[in-house]
Amino acid sequence: MNTDLPTMDDPDPRATIEERDPRRPRRPEDELVMHLERDQLVVATSRPVPPALLSARVRAGLWALRVFVVLVSLMVIYTFAHQLY
Amino acid sequence: MAATDATVTPGLVLPPLTEEDLARSHDRSRVHDARVGRKRWRLLWLLVGPGILAMLGENDGPSMIAYASDGAQYGLGFFVPFIPVLFAMAFVCQEMCMRIGAVTHRGYGELVLQRYGRVWGWFGAGDLTLTNFVTLIAEFVAIRVGLAYFHLGSGVAVALGLALVAFTLSGGRYWRWERIVLGMALFNGLFLVAAILVKPDVGSVVGALDFTPFPGGSFNTLLLLLASTIGATVTPWMIFFQQSASADKGMTPSDISHGRYDTAAGAVLAAIFGVGALIAGAALLTHGGSGIQGFAGAGFPEALKHISGSAVGTVFALGLIEAGAVAILTISASTAYAAGECIGVSHSFNSSLRNSLVFHAANVGIALLAAVVILIPGAPLLSIALNANVLATVLLPVSLVFMLMLANDRGLMGPWANRRATNAVGITVIAFVGLCGAAYGIDSFLLSTHLIG
Repeated sequence: MNTDLPTMDDPDPRATIEERDPRRPRRPEDELVMHLERDQLVVATSRPVPPALLSARVRAGLWALRVFVVLVSLMVIYTFAHQLY
Repeated sequence: MAATDATVTPGLVLPPLTEEDLARSHDRSRVHDARVGRKRWRLLWLLVGPGILAMLGENDGPSMIAYASDGAQYGLGFFVPFIPVLFAMAFVCQEMCMRIGAVTHRGYGELVLQRYGRVWGWFGAGDLTLTNFVTLIAEFVAIRVGLAYFHLGSGVAVALGLALVAFTLSGGRYWRWERIVLGMALFNGLFLVAAILVKPDVGSVVGALDFTPFPGGSFNTLLLLLASTIGATVTPWMIFFQQSASADKGMTPSDISHGRYDTAAGAVLAAIFGVGALIAGAALLTHGGSGIQGFAGAGFPEALKHISGSAVGTVFALGLIEAGAVAILTISASTAYAAGECIGVSHSFNSSLRNSLVFHAANVGIALLAAVVILIPGAPLLSIALNANVLATVLLPVSLVFMLMLANDRGLMGPWANRRATNAVGITVIAFVGLCGAAYGIDSFLLSTHLIG
């Protein structure tokens, strides 16, 4: 996701776990995980993004697309079945 | 997801880490080291993958047979420049997918579902599963066509396809899966070897670059040609696959330029190899090639053997086996990503079987179902295979519209959202694909119901 947050390997001390608390005992994986962006962690990507606020025009366009695709798909499926028999 | 203990000292917020995080962070640390050490080629090597796999995965069995069939029926004219144009269109779409995946770290399915609602999310996943299932049947048929040249039957095709899916999944790492499939995908170059072996007239290949002669035949035949050729180049599974794979690989906004190189390299290679299949097929143009359509028996390899020698037939047959095998792996993967994303469970090659059962089951399951179909005696495989690309083209505009909406979503993409020029090209591509697919669907329907002559 778009983030202006620094990455975990960013030299910015605010972003680096290690530098935020140098007294903390290090785990073997800490050094590795610092190369991931914060919103790249599974715990972050498991959180859903908020729904988009769509204008009435966009919603109408999406409905038109839905109807169009269903109609054309039905035509293709009919033609396919017609070819089979 | 199995999280490690999150030992947190007072004042420090350290999130729980999963095996997926740890595997991805291993890969990212190598990228980081290459970037810091200014090892440009090493960095490129580490970051290529999803783009090449999406493009070469789409040079699948049905697509290569479609290109060879175009060459055998119509010659080189029109198709030599048309195939690269289609891959340029595919690049525009796939670049957006890569960018969305790198910026959001999420797959296409979950973003559509969460951002635009469950109906569209499930519609996209359903559309993908249907077209993937039909396409996978066609991939097994392509492998069977290739193996038939070596006097091997359907059972071997099924065993080979399923064994590959199981083998590539076995490592429990995205990196391993990607490198194995990437290594296999490079053998798509066999179609270029076949083209060279038929000793084409270079002058006629260059001369075909002016889009002439335009293929003749009825309006419906022309629409079928356009729809099936477009369906052989841009498909819904590529959109799901590249975005999810980019996220699974751990790409970030700082990798976008390398992601573009990766996608561009894939498009160039796929166009060259696709034109290779076209040129090899065109060798049959004056030798009854128009009579060899689709998957009828082992038509193409055998016919090429008689006209251009056994080496060409063997190379083309091996190419079909490779094209089908790679596509089985990438298309099954895109189905698995979509299933995991829409159900909301772990969906990563970096996750173990135990922790991402749905992802792995969908990956193997859809390949298994397609394999079962080709073992059914008397199944209408020819009709299924020929309609797979057309169905994909008809359903493609929905995927493309949401891809464009996501790429323009500044709330998600921030400064990496589409620019005006990208939107202009993207909208043109969607309109072209939508018109071709719809025109073919409507025209065929009217013909089959005898509403037009």
